[in-house]
Amino acid sequence: MAAIVRLSSVCRRGVNPLFYQSTLLARPLVVPHKCQEQPHLLTARIHASQALYASSGSKAASLHWTAERVLSILLLSMGPIAYFNPSPVVDYSLAAALTLHGHWGIGQVLTDYVHGDTKVKMANAGLFLLSTITFAGLCYFNYNDVGICKAIALLWSK
Amino acid sequence: MGTTAKEEMNKFWSKNAKLNRPMSPHITIYKWSVPMMMSITHRGTGVGLSGAISAFALAALVLPGNYPDYLDMIHSLSMGPYLIGLAKFGIAFPVSYHTLNGIRHLWWDLGKGFRIPEVYRTGYTVIGLSIIASIALASL
Repeated sequence: MAAIVRLSSVCRRGVNPLFYQSTLLARPLVVPHKCQEQPHLLTARIHASQALYASSGSKAASLHWTAERVLSILLLSMGPIAYFNPSPVVDYSLAAALTLHGHWGIGQVLTDYVHGDTKVKMANAGLFLLSTITFAGLCYFNYNDVGICKAIALLWSK
Repeated sequence: MGTTAKEEMNKFWSKNAKLNRPMSPHITIYKWSVPMMMSITHRGTGVGLSGAISAFALAALVLPGNYPDYLDMIHSLSMGPYLIGLAKFGIAFPVSYHTLNGIRHLWWDLGKGFRIPEVYRTGYTVIGLSIIASIALASL
């Protein structure tokens, strides 16, 4: 959906069209002095669609960042809830929130310290496996044993 | 036209790895500061706590028996109140510190508290509150 405006067709003075044909410029047309006698034709904007921007315009990283913060706040609120209102719902929510927060956290650590395409892929695969096992184990504990809230309470009563 | 930050980073690392360059000294020569230490402690407690949770989950899947029995087993070792208190502090401190510093991080994410005196003030507050909270929790 790129709107490419060929300035040469607009400005009859033979301005070099290549300068103005970049589809990746998201700013209004630069108006050369010679063309100012036709202002009504030069209000077109050159802009590129999201698809053309694909790598530099993706919002995935930004959304991930926001999701991390939302999860952190959620996890914070689960502390008092688990203390005052322990229940199986809280147990499973805690299992999910803790595992995901840890998964994303370690993911950031790997991004910081692991470099090279293969190593990154291997490390992330290992992390995924670990997080899956962690979540499975916590759910198993919630189902077949006393559950996270009770476990902490019992541990502290010793 | 234009590369992403991720692409630039990958280019940096692959070029330097290909040329077999050694890494410049950084943490071995740079003067340590309280914010630096708090930051790496936040990361350390995070990784540590995550590892502990994973170990617990794995144990739940693999070990026979149930949790209260294991607790009774530990209790029967009769470690004495001080060792138990120390163990509780050892659990409570990473949790308290990571939680409180986490709130400090969220504060930064709102764009607040970046001036250096504020960084130090909130930092010392987190350290102080963590110690107090951990002692309080350990004595429960």
